Amino acid sequence: MKIKTLSRPVDEYTRERSQDLQVVFHNFDPSLRPMEKAVEYKRALTAAKLEKIFARPFVGAMDGHRDGVSCMAKNPNYLKGIFSASMDGDIRLWDISSRRTVCQFPGHQGAVRGLTVSTDGNVLVSCGTDCTVRLWKVPRPTLEDSSVSSENFIEPAAEYVWKNAFWAVDHQFEGELFATAGAQLEIWNHNRASPVQSFQWGTDSVISVRFNPGEPDILATSASDRSITIYDLRMSSAARRIIMMTKTNSIAWNPMEPMNLTAANEDGSCYSFDGRKMDEAKCVHKDHVSAVMDIDFSPTGREFVTGSYDRSVRIFPYNGGHSREIYHTKRMQRVFCVKYSCDATYVLSGSDDTNLRLWKAKASEQLGVILPREQKKHEYNEAVKNRYKHLPEVKRIVRHRHLPKPIYKALGIIRTVNDSKRRKEDRRRAHSAPGTIVTKPLRQRRIIKEVE
Amino acid sequence: MVGEKRRSTSKNLAKNKKRKGPHLPNSILKTIANEKRPLNSDEEDDEIDSDDANVDLYEYEEGVPEEESRKNNRYDPVVNYDYELPEDFEDENVESDDDDEGGNSDNEEGEGDVVRHTRMLQAVTGMPSAAFDGESKRKPVLFTEAYPESEFNPTRDVLEGKGLLTIDDFMAPIEGKPGFNDLQKRISRMQKDTQAVVHAPLPKPERERLERKAVKGLVDKEFNKWVHMVKRNREAPTVYFNQNVSLGYSTVGAIASEFQPRTDFEKKMASVLNDNELGEAHDEDGAKLLELNEVSVEDHIKYRDHIAKMRSLLFRHELKSKRIKKIKSKTYHRLKGKDLKKSAMGALMDPEMAKEEAMKQEARRVEERMTLKHKNTGKWAKRMISRGLNVKYDGTRAAISEQLQINATLSRKMNSTNDGSSSDESDDEEELNDGSDQDTPSKLIAKAREKTLKTVEDDEVPNSGLLSLPFMARAMKKKNEEAIEEAKRALEEYEEWENSGGEENSKKTADVSGRRVFGATAKVEAPKESRKDSDNFYDNSDSDNDMEGIENNDLRAVRDTASPVRNTGAITETEFDDDIENPASKTTFDVALFASGSWKKMKGCQNAETKKKTKKHVPYSKSQDKKESRDEESEDSESEAEQMVDGILTSASKETYEIPSQAELIQRAFAGDDVVDEFEKEKQEVLNQEVPEPEKPVLVPGWGQWTNIQKKRGLPSWMVREHEDAKKKRTLDLKTRKDARLRHVIISEKVDKKAEKLHTTTLPFPYTSKEVFEHSMRMPIGPEFNPATIVGSLNRPEVVKKAGVIIKPLKFEEANPNEKVDDEHPRSNQKQNPKKGGKTGKGQRKGKSKQKTKA
Repeated sequence: MKIKTLSRPVDEYTRERSQDLQVVFHNFDPSLRPMEKAVEYKRALTAAKLEKIFARPFVGAMDGHRDGVSCMAKNPNYLKGIFSASMDGDIRLWDISSRRTVCQFPGHQGAVRGLTVSTDGNVLVSCGTDCTVRLWKVPRPTLEDSSVSSENFIEPAAEYVWKNAFWAVDHQFEGELFATAGAQLEIWNHNRASPVQSFQWGTDSVISVRFNPGEPDILATSASDRSITIYDLRMSSAARRIIMMTKTNSIAWNPMEPMNLTAANEDGSCYSFDGRKMDEAKCVHKDHVSAVMDIDFSPTGREFVTGSYDRSVRIFPYNGGHSREIYHTKRMQRVFCVKYSCDATYVLSGSDDTNLRLWKAKASEQLGVILPREQKKHEYNEAVKNRYKHLPEVKRIVRHRHLPKPIYKALGIIRTVNDSKRRKEDRRRAHSAPGTIVTKPLRQRRIIKEVE
Repeated sequence: MVGEKRRSTSKNLAKNKKRKGPHLPNSILKTIANEKRPLNSDEEDDEIDSDDANVDLYEYEEGVPEEESRKNNRYDPVVNYDYELPEDFEDENVESDDDDEGGNSDNEEGEGDVVRHTRMLQAVTGMPSAAFDGESKRKPVLFTEAYPESEFNPTRDVLEGKGLLTIDDFMAPIEGKPGFNDLQKRISRMQKDTQAVVHAPLPKPERERLERKAVKGLVDKEFNKWVHMVKRNREAPTVYFNQNVSLGYSTVGAIASEFQPRTDFEKKMASVLNDNELGEAHDEDGAKLLELNEVSVEDHIKYRDHIAKMRSLLFRHELKSKRIKKIKSKTYHRLKGKDLKKSAMGALMDPEMAKEEAMKQEARRVEERMTLKHKNTGKWAKRMISRGLNVKYDGTRAAISEQLQINATLSRKMNSTNDGSSSDESDDEEELNDGSDQDTPSKLIAKAREKTLKTVEDDEVPNSGLLSLPFMARAMKKKNEEAIEEAKRALEEYEEWENSGGEENSKKTADVSGRRVFGATAKVEAPKESRKDSDNFYDNSDSDNDMEGIENNDLRAVRDTASPVRNTGAITETEFDDDIENPASKTTFDVALFASGSWKKMKGCQNAETKKKTKKHVPYSKSQDKKESRDEESEDSESEAEQMVDGILTSASKETYEIPSQAELIQRAFAGDDVVDEFEKEKQEVLNQEVPEPEKPVLVPGWGQWTNIQKKRGLPSWMVREHEDAKKKRTLDLKTRKDARLRHVIISEKVDKKAEKLHTTTLPFPYTSKEVFEHSMRMPIGPEFNPATIVGSLNRPEVVKKAGVIIKPLKFEEANPNEKVDDEHPRSNQKQNPKKGGKTGKGQRKGKSKQKTKA
């Protein structure tokens, strides 16, 4: 005879150690919990609200420059170090954790326009409007940096004078070369006083240059003739060039997708391109209301940060049309440079108000050591919020951002203008023979042509 | 070079196409030629040559009218090239700038000249005209002239015509001279060997363009090799960036070896540790160590004093314990032991002691409650408080507060104990009350009997200890038997009492005795057998009757009626129930229903026939409940019940019972409820709720009723109008409703605002269908609803990273052939698979599957 009994073996509920968590037995039969969906929806709502409550992105400002910050460079080998240069020729190394200047690199006579660090973090390269390229030896990070605030100055290791003023500089990833942008694109070696290679296509000056982190011999430049060009150093020749309607201020390669790059354009949008097919942007990232001055990809390749002339910093998803986040403060002026930290946790912005600002990449992220259970809770909240983000209540809370008045108004104007344009287009199409009026898709609209 | 070749081929194509074209007048042709040139020259000036001009323009087979061609005499008649190039020699024309620049050529002569020319050739050579056709047709020449003809600008005729010098002209004079043959051979070789001709370099922009084209292809190839990695990354549900974290130093030794002293203290320590002198002293003999190890006199004295103090304390303690040990008085030790036990430890050790202690405590509490000794009621305390000394002196205040404390503790505990005792008492009281409520002697007797039974049952042989020994067990058994005997006797006695006391009690005793095996009496035996018969009968009837619905109902009814009887009959129910198909619980449930008087409710479900019959039995059940006196003995009632049961069954089988039709049944079942009417009413209600009827306009009492005129006028016209409008609107609304024409349907058009919140107005972006979107939220992901093993994977974010870990850019890896087949290079992978994937079974399997798909 079979007798059904309740059994509870001792092994199942006995802890091995006193620190172990007590095993809790659940019955996961959904019929026992008819309200689970409602419960999760409520949790999503709560999570969205909590995210808003905890959204405190601004960590701190670093002041010390006496002029607007023109460019920054992050040390690829050392998280806490960030270099910044200002329009008066001042270059500083900052310790991010203490937000103090570690040392200064005096020497430039005019504005410093370009700053970059070699991949091993030993050599800092700077260039500027005084037609010089300077190489500096980066001091080794020691523990004293954070405690002692002694202002030490560093002499340049090398100084190369050249024919024209420079606009930008970027270092090859894991290599000896760096590229400067000026009247033309020039490739330098650390140990040579003159460039080893020089490229010119057209007569306009090059305003930004960026090496591909995945493919160290490929680099992209943008020039003042509104073009974006891809060069290959091995073939010592350009590969592609497109002309856009407006100038591109800065370029960033996606570190996780070496064929893709995103261009920060003067028209307030960013354009993501596939390096193999430049006649059409892969994605247009709109939100800024003024020229985008600088762009930097997150090392995860999933996001990028932009700084704009409209006094705001925005974070975009790499494949999304609109920004995920906007950062602004009352005192932050035109943003000239932005950087994503090497661990994808922080964002730095340098602006006209002589300050560097440190932001969290995720506004409501909890900093510091997080216990595993806490981590799980955060993950669950995030997942639940992500799941219900399309429902109106959650969506409203998640999407809401407070905008500064000028940006808000400008957005309104832009919207009006776009609406009227669209109306006009529609009417024109309606009143002309079918097929005569062809509208280009948004992704091609701002691209004039691809030059052979 | 590649590009050049391509150009040459394109030129060929152009030449082939030349034959066709619109017949345009020559003037237009000229303008075309003029316009084309600047366009080309705009981009590359060097490129333009006669040949290009040829390419760009149309060729006309028809002749141009002479009068037109000679209109302004600018273009001289020119015989077309008679110099024919070999097939692979065309490119030479690209470089032959010098010739073309100087040469004026045109095809203005047109077809007429050509025809004449061929005729002349034919006449001279005597060959058929077909031989010269090709020559005549391949002339696509249009030359424009920048300058008028002069000796500095000779016509093409002069340059290329009959007066043109060839190598042969130069060679003719030296024919036959030594070395002529050699020279001729070399010249012919030179003419043949076109490959050795070095071409002039391409113009720079052209060259760069070609270069860029090549580079573009290479760069694309370079980018393409990343595709599989990018694809994998993008498709992965989670990307991990926290994997390759170097933790730095893993051992204490490694950390220590890297240690650098920073603070003053650390530096001091380091200076001592790394002192060479000290090291040497250690290494040698330690004699020098003494010199280094100086201790101050004060420190030494301090240390010595401390040691002496500790030692003296220890000594005193020893002395004391010795003295105590020496005391021989037993009373002293007993008292000491008691003291020890009195302490909490002692109380814990001994339950007796604890009890005693508790008693004492209780007494103290009671005393406290009675006297309130510690609640400032004492003489001393009163005096202190009245004189205000407790405020003045700290000691007094402390003493008083201490007293209050004692009071508080005592009273608090007192409450808790009081609760316990009171509840116990109440329990007892309840029990007593229970007894007194049913004060009947029968109850008391029953109770007594139960208790005896319990004692009898409880006697169990212990498994272990002294009592488990065989002789003890035997003794126990004997004792038990005696006890049982006694109990039996007692029970019998009870029975007698009952019988004498009241007939109503007899049943119960019988019942009990019937249930117990040991109490099986002759009285019970007889009905048991008869019951079994009836059981068999039940069985048969059940198996025979396959008609379920009604018949079953009947049977159940029968059983229900039988069950009380069974109770009275004192039959072991289990036996009975096993025979019946229904489980025991059900029957008992039915019994319970019956007993509680809910029988009437069940009546509705049963047929009229059974109702009639069961009604007979109702009084019995009721009588049982109310414990009314019965006129019959238990035995009699039993037998009667049995008969009745039989009677019912027999009657059921005997009577001609017609099974009603389905419709009839339904009609009967739903007799009295008008569903259609109800639904209509309901619908009307819903309509009224959703589209409410407009309120009738009412005048406020006292308003507009002052005079007769006002009264006569009644409601103001605007009110009436509004009301009418509202009515009309309502009817319109009702008509436009979705369920306006559906009589049997209510479609609610009420918008639920709370439900609105849970819907999206449009389908969100990544989803393509509503179902997919809804499915995405179907299963919960929380830890309460899922096992812990999968909660992590359900909630994992897209990007897992760790603050403080530097993320390096993507490193290139070759595509793993064992992984999924890449979309980009499926063919190459197929080739690789048998080679690389041969090691693992997975790859092989994949290869096989591919072959299958091919087949």
